[in-house]
Amino acid sequence: MVVGDVSTGTELAIIGAGPGGYVAAIRAGQLGLDVTLIEKDAWGGTCLNYGCIPSKALITATDVGYEADTAEEMGIHADVKVDVDQMTTWKDGVVDQLTSGVEKLCKANGVNLVEGVAEFESENKLRVAHGGDGQGSETIEFENAIIATGSRPIEVPGFEYDGEHVLSSRDVLDLDRVPESMVVVGGGYIGMELSTVLAKMGCDVTVVEMLDDILAGYEEDVTSVVRQNAEDLGIDFRFGEAASDWEKRDGDIVVTTENEDGEEFQYATEKAFVAVGRQPVLDTLNLDAIGLEPNEDGHLETDKQAQTDVAGVYAIGDVATGPMLAHKASKEGQVAAEAIAGEPAALDYQAVPAAVFTDPEIGTVGMTEQEAEDAGFSPAVGNFPMRASGRSLTTGNDDGFVRIVADEDSGFILGAQIVGPEASELVAELGLAIEMGATLEDVAATIHTHPTLSEAVMEAAEHALGHAIHTLNR
Amino acid sequence: MPTEFKLPDVGEGVAEGEIVAWLVSEGDTVEEDQPVAEVETDKAVVEVPSPYDGTVKELHYEEGDVVPVGDVIVTFNVEGEDDLDAAPERDETSAADADADTETADAASAASSGSGRTFAPPSVRRLARERDVDLSTVSGSGPSGRITEGDVRAAAESGEESAEASAPKSAVTKVSEEDEKSAASAATNEKAASAEPVEAAGREKTLAAPATRRVAEELGVSLDDVPASEEREDGAFVSEAAVREYAEAQQAAQAADTAEVRSGDADGESGEREERVPYRGVRRTIGKQMAESKYTAPHVTHHDTAVVDALADVREELKPVAEERGFRLTYMPFIVKAVVAGLKQHPYLNSQLDEENEEIVLKNYYNIGIAVATDAGLMVPVIKNVDEKSIPDIAAEMRDLIEKARDRSISREEMQGGTFTLTNFGAIGGEYATPIINYPETAILGLGALEERPVAEDGDVVAKETLPLSLSIDHRVIDGAVAAEFANTVQEYLENPSMLLLE
Repeated sequence: MVVGDVSTGTELAIIGAGPGGYVAAIRAGQLGLDVTLIEKDAWGGTCLNYGCIPSKALITATDVGYEADTAEEMGIHADVKVDVDQMTTWKDGVVDQLTSGVEKLCKANGVNLVEGVAEFESENKLRVAHGGDGQGSETIEFENAIIATGSRPIEVPGFEYDGEHVLSSRDVLDLDRVPESMVVVGGGYIGMELSTVLAKMGCDVTVVEMLDDILAGYEEDVTSVVRQNAEDLGIDFRFGEAASDWEKRDGDIVVTTENEDGEEFQYATEKAFVAVGRQPVLDTLNLDAIGLEPNEDGHLETDKQAQTDVAGVYAIGDVATGPMLAHKASKEGQVAAEAIAGEPAALDYQAVPAAVFTDPEIGTVGMTEQEAEDAGFSPAVGNFPMRASGRSLTTGNDDGFVRIVADEDSGFILGAQIVGPEASELVAELGLAIEMGATLEDVAATIHTHPTLSEAVMEAAEHALGHAIHTLNR
Repeated sequence: MPTEFKLPDVGEGVAEGEIVAWLVSEGDTVEEDQPVAEVETDKAVVEVPSPYDGTVKELHYEEGDVVPVGDVIVTFNVEGEDDLDAAPERDETSAADADADTETADAASAASSGSGRTFAPPSVRRLARERDVDLSTVSGSGPSGRITEGDVRAAAESGEESAEASAPKSAVTKVSEEDEKSAASAATNEKAASAEPVEAAGREKTLAAPATRRVAEELGVSLDDVPASEEREDGAFVSEAAVREYAEAQQAAQAADTAEVRSGDADGESGEREERVPYRGVRRTIGKQMAESKYTAPHVTHHDTAVVDALADVREELKPVAEERGFRLTYMPFIVKAVVAGLKQHPYLNSQLDEENEEIVLKNYYNIGIAVATDAGLMVPVIKNVDEKSIPDIAAEMRDLIEKARDRSISREEMQGGTFTLTNFGAIGGEYATPIINYPETAILGLGALEERPVAEDGDVVAKETLPLSLSIDHRVIDGAVAAEFANTVQEYLENPSMLLLE
């Protein structure tokens, strides 16, 4: 023990107060456990502070401006002025409100909050170093621990984040003005969401992507809608190129890329934003002390209750296997907390929904047609184009579609892919359908409010059954 | 590469079969068409041949298991294909996992398909966890087989019941294992217990000296059952010594049986008080058919007795002729002929009720089923178009069919298409019974033992060969009067067998 250490004991120590960790803490508190939640940076973690919430705030704000600016067809002629400072203040206000809410909720549920960086000292001890010189450290003895340290952006060699020329997503969300131009390295969902924001605010955006399409993992007809809209916004795509170097030139920078054949390309830009993905944060934890090792992908393997190979040590969220999504982290946090409290909880969800806040949005859940086929189902697929939706037309956004994948024999809904306005919201209905074991008929026979976008979901189910009303049954 | 062999369709409409015996073991080399298992369906025992040349990697079921058609029963390592699994040290864990997977897949309900997915709402999944129910083994009663809360509760309860049911059984086993007394009492009866009864030879004709015959009679053994001392030209010869030895062996065996029963009674715990025999295969089929018949067709049984002195005479007369021609003449072919004569005159006895179309189907062909007791249970081979066949033909065909039924090689076709059935319970003994109709036929004639019985004749009681008849009819189709008339006709023919010449 380091001199000056304070030692405390807890039934459950949770490392990381993001959407996984704080949810686990609150749930464990509700179940009467003595909980200690340790956070090194900000309550709410990446999601609330540097990810989902600020990005969605900016996306919404820029959408308001962009739509007002482009609504001439509807008879709106606006001279939109964007006050970036004001926008940032508003966004930060939203974040503050949420993070302070998290803090309050944790306290209200009896969770002990500790600020500092935690590492394992032994199988039942954590040492938490408090920030700053002379702040000291403390040792926490735990009966159970949940690792919820989340992830950090991956750096591209030669493109170390400096906050000035080479930016991370966190830096982009904190910009105090709109840059003239931006080279975005990576066409994944973070790159595409923020590219859209930047382009709508008048930034000249070039997306450099190593692969030959954006949004790897999504089907071509899904990505093509988003790509087409992005191009219409003026975003320039450079596929098959990887960022290799950059240098300062005349106050701006020049980013060099290379294609497969070694051919080089140069892009002069004000700033570069590197968004090539995220990696779990496990290197700060001294996992050796408890004999835990990440798998090849850098994640921790867990069982149905989110427990790792070490009894009493759980892993949730981005550090655990599976997609890096806040809602998946929260669910895992709940299950881990309940399991520790002795409840018969298990991670037995059938599907994890995902959303991309591009323009238009993408919402997906469960299996694609191909995945259903690979899993041994004979898929029945129903489609409904947004241009056939009355509500979609009245929003001025009619790109995209709703697609439902079901098992032809039983009618059970297996998955859905939605591109279009409010796709992130619409997908929730189909997530529920999958979890409930609902059939196409169940969804088709449920009355959906008119005129809403959700009617498209009902129509897609009807289409899969061969009796869609507002589209041709093919 | 391991190749899975599924239980093939072993007969038309057969959904499952019991693995009676494995004819191969794991590790055995097999050739294509080599029988690997004996499978008993509800009709017969069939051998299932291997479709491959290769080695047996795994037998997926135990003998006695009932397997649905289409389930994997054997995994073969097929020749010419690489198999890393063929290493001598088997990975027990993975084998166990594979078994578990198979079981899960077997039990999987309609609500799961594809990648073994189970369709149930989250609240139901939680309940399953609470009640420790494996959802993949629950069959769903919801739409498309979705598992409901009720399904999980039912599964949980049935799980508890089966756990309770198995508990007393294991307790009994434990007691009998621990009970030293029973072992001791068994030891005292060792000599008797070890005496196995000598199997009865069951010949028809036995040569023996008159003195030997007397000894056999005194000792109460049938000479035909005594193992032959030597084979002579005219048949098996039995010595007096052989008779005494046989009688002793039988008595010892009987004593052993008695001792066993007594020791069981005294201890009450030396053996299991109950034995459970699986209700499967032929037994279950018989049961189902009997129940269907009995509960569908209102049965009425008409009893009568035919005086068949004349028939006995005819048979005696013809027996040597038949033997010369190489077949044994029993009463049955005559009775079959007499029955067909009766059926021709009373067609409703040779009919079927078509309930759906509300029609009675009178059949102008005469396929007579003969109920045969086999080791596995009752089987009914059918002699087709009896009216077109002679008594020797019928005798020969009947003998073949009965043999096939007894050694279980009879085909389904040979047991189908009957229009009327005869059951000869008298072969074992007894006078009257209430036979159950071989549904959807409408009548069955049961035959009692053909024996000398007292008959009143002109005011005197005389001994006559008589044949008790028990005729069960489907009263929906046949009235009692018609049944009686038919019985009278059959009797008439049996009592005046020369009339059969006209048939």
